[in-house]
Amino acid sequence: MAKKTYDLLFKLLLIGDSGVGKTCVLFRFSDDAFNTTFISTIGIDFKIKTVELQGKKIKLQIWDTAGQERFHTITTSYYRGAMGIMLVYDITNAKSFENISKWLRNIDEHANEDVERMLLGNKCDMEDKRVVPKAKGEQIAREHGIRFFETSAKANINIEKAFLTLAEDILRKTPVKEPNSENVDISSGGGVTGWKSKCC
Amino acid sequence: MESRLLSLVESHGKSMICLYTHRRMAITAEDVCLDRILLIQDGFTVEEVTPENDLQILGSDVTVQITSGDAELLVRLPFGSQTQMFLQEVRRRCSPGVARSEDATAVDPEQSTSGEAKTASTYRDQKPKTASEMPTSEQAQGLSTRPPWLRDTLIQSWLTQKEDSYTHLQSFRFFVGTYNVNGQSPQESLQPWLSQDKEPPDVYCVGFQELDLSKEAFFFNDTPKEEEWFKAVTKGLHPGAKYAKVKLVRLVGILLLLYVRTELAMNISEVEAETVGTGIMGRMGNKGGVGIRFQFHNTTVCVVNAHLAAHAEEYERRNQEVQDICARMQFHQLEPSRPLLTIDGHDIVLWLGDLNYQLEEQDTERVKKLIQAQDFQALYRRDQLKIQMDAKVIFQDFREGEISFQPTYKYIPGSDDWDDSEKCHAPAWCDRILWRGKTVSQLSYQSHTALKNSDHKPVSALFDVGIKVMDEKRYRKAFEEIVRSLDKMENASIPSVTLSKREFLFKDVKYLQRRVETFTICNGPVPCQFEFINKPDEDTYCKPWLIAKPSKGFLLPGSELMMELELLVNKSTATALNSGEGKLEDILVLHLDRGKDYFLSVSGNYLPSCFGCPIQALCYMKEPIRETLPKAVRELTLMPLSTEDAFLEEKPLDIPKELWMMVNHLYRNACQQEDLFQQPGLRPEFDQIRDWLDTETLDVLVPVGSNHAVAEALLLFLESLPEPVICYKLYKSCLECANSYEMSSQVVAMLPKCHQNVFRYLVAFLRELLKYSGKNHLDVNILATIFGGLLVRPPSGHTKPGTAEKQKAQQFILQFLCQQGDVPGYRLLQR
Repeated sequence: MAKKTYDLLFKLLLIGDSGVGKTCVLFRFSDDAFNTTFISTIGIDFKIKTVELQGKKIKLQIWDTAGQERFHTITTSYYRGAMGIMLVYDITNAKSFENISKWLRNIDEHANEDVERMLLGNKCDMEDKRVVPKAKGEQIAREHGIRFFETSAKANINIEKAFLTLAEDILRKTPVKEPNSENVDISSGGGVTGWKSKCC
Repeated sequence: MESRLLSLVESHGKSMICLYTHRRMAITAEDVCLDRILLIQDGFTVEEVTPENDLQILGSDVTVQITSGDAELLVRLPFGSQTQMFLQEVRRRCSPGVARSEDATAVDPEQSTSGEAKTASTYRDQKPKTASEMPTSEQAQGLSTRPPWLRDTLIQSWLTQKEDSYTHLQSFRFFVGTYNVNGQSPQESLQPWLSQDKEPPDVYCVGFQELDLSKEAFFFNDTPKEEEWFKAVTKGLHPGAKYAKVKLVRLVGILLLLYVRTELAMNISEVEAETVGTGIMGRMGNKGGVGIRFQFHNTTVCVVNAHLAAHAEEYERRNQEVQDICARMQFHQLEPSRPLLTIDGHDIVLWLGDLNYQLEEQDTERVKKLIQAQDFQALYRRDQLKIQMDAKVIFQDFREGEISFQPTYKYIPGSDDWDDSEKCHAPAWCDRILWRGKTVSQLSYQSHTALKNSDHKPVSALFDVGIKVMDEKRYRKAFEEIVRSLDKMENASIPSVTLSKREFLFKDVKYLQRRVETFTICNGPVPCQFEFINKPDEDTYCKPWLIAKPSKGFLLPGSELMMELELLVNKSTATALNSGEGKLEDILVLHLDRGKDYFLSVSGNYLPSCFGCPIQALCYMKEPIRETLPKAVRELTLMPLSTEDAFLEEKPLDIPKELWMMVNHLYRNACQQEDLFQQPGLRPEFDQIRDWLDTETLDVLVPVGSNHAVAEALLLFLESLPEPVICYKLYKSCLECANSYEMSSQVVAMLPKCHQNVFRYLVAFLRELLKYSGKNHLDVNILATIFGGLLVRPPSGHTKPGTAEKQKAQQFILQFLCQQGDVPGYRLLQR
């Protein structure tokens, strides 16, 4: 029982067009639940979830961003500091897929250079309404050298897997260090700062 | 391996570790010799290391690597809090930035035997190893400086609460033995005592008292007997199983050994040992107790070996000593932030030792008769310990098995005969074994008369102990559940609010029209601090035409707050909104401290107004501004100011018609108005005048307001001009020639045509007003003061004008107002 806690804090970010299901993906992962009513995220929301990977307890702080275009200049400022970014599109919405390259450019411009990226084609339970073939998603992911999953927050397909894979990829790059005073405030839910901290 | 004394010496702000070689049982300074000094300086590290091939049991001897400069040293320190204290002190001194107290302990071997040296007495060091095999110093420091962690503590407590759900009881056999050896060395096999049972026990707890009666042992707590008895016990363990030593702890003559079957060693953790002396001064170690605590699977066990005060009448002292041991024996926990553990805080306590309680019956002959008759029950009724326990004075909750063996003291060594020396000590059950714990049952309790070395007989007890064994799968499940609920708690404690409105539309906003939209913030269950924060690359949280009231604040759980977004377009923002360069669009970021961010969208449309419009643009606008195409307004507003009439097809008006309408109205109606320009108009009157100017095609100002309102509108109009009548670039020249009318006239002549016209027109009007100063109470000074500040304005970036500068601007205007004769611009007035 005297297991040592080697905790790390990973900050993840969900981005993508409005309505592709970013909030649902997060809600499924954090609360294992699904809500069918669509409430557009107007702002920045986050939740935490502790996972165990390779014997280490890792706290994931997952930021959910507003997808609406008019907020893009603001939301991109939250990219900095994210260690992993999940770029979500909707397999039933061609436009959301076409915008992928724009989102990827945004990541290039605004996120940390070593950020781990991942592409998710959400709503894969809605096969009858599919307009983006899985192969196209795989292709664009391959071109950019990032991982790809088709997910469904509603049917709970690949959600946990996607998050754990992303966290594992980050962990692989994280130098193993003893816990020190730097990550003490993890437990308090602190360290929650967007770009605000930069300007103060 | 060689034995060394280590001392931490601090002198003149410098610290060092001194190593001494020493004679066996060093007593005086001559017995020790300074061997080497390790300075605590830059690069000094103390790292805990794990020696190879060592049984991985937490709480066993601590091996540390000390590095100072080129010197490297591997030292094995004994168990217990004294070592921890020593290391803590050393680490405190090698961490930089620690304020050092001046502690003038000289580097003197004699000194070293006192103070710190006493706390960290004999350590054996081995050959240095290469540094590359060792973990980094960062790791070692991490171990000692780990801060308390609430989350961990919570998980631990909940896991303990849920223990039943993931553990089951499994029986283990514990052998507990106690033997007062009267200072003797082992001479006979201990097997008759330790391995009489057919079945090999799982755990051995073996205690000795009076291991060494020498004064060396007493003063220096060092004795060769420790090794001798340790070997004898190891040899005497049950041959039916292999055992690993978990821990050895000794205080002078009180020795306690803990062994476990090798294959079970991995289930032992968190081993700690402590000693409590209750001898002379209540501290010395000739009497007292030693304890070992550990966790076996999920059950915590504490074993105590005590040697209490002798003499029949001293039972109250013995009681006191038991209480002292219970109070003072405190074990450190692996996590330094956790509280110290007492004996009481364990699931199972096994207490053994020479407790020295006698029989109340002191008539030796009568006792011996009862012994001969094997009437142990009658004797036991007279046992002091039993009496004290029954009276609940000590050992509450402890139990002792039935005694069916004859007293274990006092025999003639080498025999089974009672000692009949002159002291004539009545036989007594000095040596006892007690237990506390729900899952303990005693299988046997006996003395071992076959051992004849000592004046005591050894005693043993076998226990069947129910140990909580963890089911890994069910533990994982319980653990998962706890982590999930902790996450849930944490997510629930993220501040969160609901906003009654997040989109704000301000329709048809007009110049200087104050518009307010309200919304409420309803706080969730977490108290929160909110604030509108700046967006990236912006210095303010919103555009200059907007303000949030309040812009920051604190909300109690469940409380509501009414918020206002106030919009006002004034002279500084109007021009860009007229031209369409600026838009009534903004996104505000409402940030909750340690919580979410909310975006508030503000949008609206602005109705262009002559207020904030350049003179030149207005001169080209033949129609009211609102009747003009937005594209034209934009182009005219952005058109560079030209000295000559621009090459536009249409000839511009001499002066803006809006200005003419206001001035003409005043000229016709207000020349005799009392206190003109000195009384404000009413707000709605201004609104009407503005709307009239912006929309009406008629070139007269229908009397929509009082003369005061029109006068005020005129001033506001002049104030709103993005380029003042005296252009910014001429501001300096204007001040420089404020004392010369001639030169001032030249400055005016340098103004663009439309500005010249406006200036002359206004001067003509003001001079006209001065004719009626008897009625309207105006004089040149008043007018120069009012209009000086409006017509002559410093460019942006200019320091705020001081009194002298303001006076010059007024002087400039004053000259024109005082001129006699022909007035250019009068023509315009008469039109």
